[in-house]
Amino acid sequence: MRFVWFWTFWHWSREGFRAGSLLRGPLHGIAGHWDEWYRHEASPEDRRAVEDAGRSKAAQRAFVGWLARHWAREAEWRGSRPPARFVLGQLAHVAPFDRWPALEKYRASYGPAGVWAIVLAEGSAGESADVRRVEALVVPADADAAAPAVVAEGFEADDAALDAARRAALGMLGGTGLLAFLALWVAGGRRPYPRWLGALLALGWAAAAALAGWLLVGPDPGERLLPLVAALAALWAALVMTATGAAAAVVGGAWRLGARWRRRLEADQLRLRMSGGLRLIGGSAGVPFSLNALLAVYRANPAAASASWLWERFFRRMRAGAPGWAATGSVAADGRISPVVLESKLRACLRHEDISDVLTPWQRGARGRVIRQLADGLKETHGGRTAAALRVGGARLGFAAELPRLRGHRCRHLAQAMMSIGGLTSVPQVAVNVLALAVSAVMLAALPDLRGILRPPPAPAAVAPSSPSPYHLWVSLDTKHPEDFEVLLESRFWSNRRATVAAYGGDNASVRAELRLNRLDFQTVSDEEDGTVWIERRRRFLTRAFAPGERVGRYTLSYLTRLGHD
Amino acid sequence: MSRQLSIEQLLRWRLALAETEAPPAPRAARLLEAVRPWWELWPERFRAQAARLGRMQTAAFGYAMADPRLARTGHPVPALVVHSEELETFVRVLYFSVRGDRLRLRFHLDGVSARAEPGYEVTFVSDGAAVGAADARPLLAAAAEHSTDGEYRLDAALPDEIAGRWERLKVTDPMPFRLILRPTAAGAG
Repeated sequence: MRFVWFWTFWHWSREGFRAGSLLRGPLHGIAGHWDEWYRHEASPEDRRAVEDAGRSKAAQRAFVGWLARHWAREAEWRGSRPPARFVLGQLAHVAPFDRWPALEKYRASYGPAGVWAIVLAEGSAGESADVRRVEALVVPADADAAAPAVVAEGFEADDAALDAARRAALGMLGGTGLLAFLALWVAGGRRPYPRWLGALLALGWAAAAALAGWLLVGPDPGERLLPLVAALAALWAALVMTATGAAAAVVGGAWRLGARWRRRLEADQLRLRMSGGLRLIGGSAGVPFSLNALLAVYRANPAAASASWLWERFFRRMRAGAPGWAATGSVAADGRISPVVLESKLRACLRHEDISDVLTPWQRGARGRVIRQLADGLKETHGGRTAAALRVGGARLGFAAELPRLRGHRCRHLAQAMMSIGGLTSVPQVAVNVLALAVSAVMLAALPDLRGILRPPPAPAAVAPSSPSPYHLWVSLDTKHPEDFEVLLESRFWSNRRATVAAYGGDNASVRAELRLNRLDFQTVSDEEDGTVWIERRRRFLTRAFAPGERVGRYTLSYLTRLGHD
Repeated sequence: MSRQLSIEQLLRWRLALAETEAPPAPRAARLLEAVRPWWELWPERFRAQAARLGRMQTAAFGYAMADPRLARTGHPVPALVVHSEELETFVRVLYFSVRGDRLRLRFHLDGVSARAEPGYEVTFVSDGAAVGAADARPLLAAAAEHSTDGEYRLDAALPDEIAGRWERLKVTDPMPFRLILRPTAAGAG
């Protein structure tokens, strides 16, 4: 209980708020509340204890550690734990903490930065200083209803621009923005499989495509058709179930966690900090503000991300990679990114040694070729200046240092920016998805044919009506699947013929095969009723017709010609 | 001067020298004038500023919040910042406490962050809306100093009559005063 005085202050603040003497909640008003308590309410013992805590840097560090590790976990305000960095950042500006060296780092920073914003100073053609560190923090909303939802610290910006960035972030957590993000991920996002399983699935799709190709254009498999089709159907079903099951699990998890985070961001206050004291003209910092708002939501409770593979991966990559990423672009509330003035901003990124990747709107000036040209231009300027300026005793100094390589990522929507920064886009997965889509389209189109092979309909019987004309033979069948059968006439008097079965309408409506009877040129019998009609199963795969299958019916010609007439 | 002087003699000599060089003590009338509040010294100026303050519309809230937890807000207090020009603005009272005859007040000045002053002389004027602009009268004046992030703090003794009336006020209640803020650097004039 070395720092019991801080608990005393905290309870005074809570009670003061409850009793109606303090307007702001204990969290948002902590700096002013402390100032009041320390000046007027603290007992001499409390003040002495505070002085003791600040006597040495080690003692100050001990207080900071206690506040972050113990107090912040135990203190509670309206169901939330106070963010230690915010509390330390606020206290660092009031006496006696404003003189504590241990709090120096909290005075101007909330901790690790997010994606850099590119904000040009007035008249700047693009200097490294124009790439600005942005910090974002979410804190439980203030009890003061007049408190804004977004607070800009260290700069000024239009409320509308800040609100658009916040709403875009909200949409990315639960709304059309998230739908776009999930659609992009489904279309070509890295999957949560281990590498070997991914390779196996890709191989599976390739095998399915090969089987389908064989069935379409390969040699007739004959007796092996049934096992082949069965293997293809089983493989395709397994692949589809695996793919849709995994995607549904990832999408569902991301949606549920996103909705939870959205509620939190809606309820909380977003604080954006950017040094420089600038007054922002235009909304080109909207994209970094939105991305950093998302990062702030994650940082408020990183453990929650484990509920969703997609969010967890995105934020892990973003947290690790953010120091190398800059972004520019005006963002609308629905997440769409609008073009901005770019050339100077790209030059600023090229001059900044930490920036390796830049997110830009989808515009001509952000193409890789343009970035390379800008980099070459800077290299020439850089080389010329150093060559002229640096000659030591007549010797010319050579510089091997290269300007850092900058990768541009053009985005039409914040969802694309998230895919890029999260390293979620996978070209092999896109290829597998295209293959899977093609195979699935073929399989869906061929489903009736596959059913006809794998689960053939019952053998039909010949029924009335028969043909009223003596020059035609009608073989009417009692089946609902005419496409699965064909009819073959074998006769020594009539020409042998094969005909498909189809549904006919009109006066004599029936499912039948119609054969025109032509005499043979060289008849071996004189009986015009000679002949046998076979009902055969018809096997197809889309446009491909295979050799006839099993014979499931046999009728004499005389029987069929009299059927229905007697 | 002899080099054989004692320390005591030296101090006496220095004191005598200081007394001869010191300006004459102010007269009692001058001292009395100095402690008079500025509104008595320049009543016309006070009347003009109080009238302007009285004409300011108090912002009224329309409560449409969905979450009752957030339904807490203070009533903005009209304030006139007297700088090189006069600026009409509002003050948000963040802390209000009257104990005994002491008033402790913290407030945030809206819309003047670009020219934050280290301190203000704060004149409390009775709320014209309640008593009529013409009847607005000064209640007290006290120094407020800058605290943190646009906040100012004030600690002043209250007349008994006012202390009794303000004792039960909460920070969320409508405040029975308006404020004239004069940057301390600007002096009494």
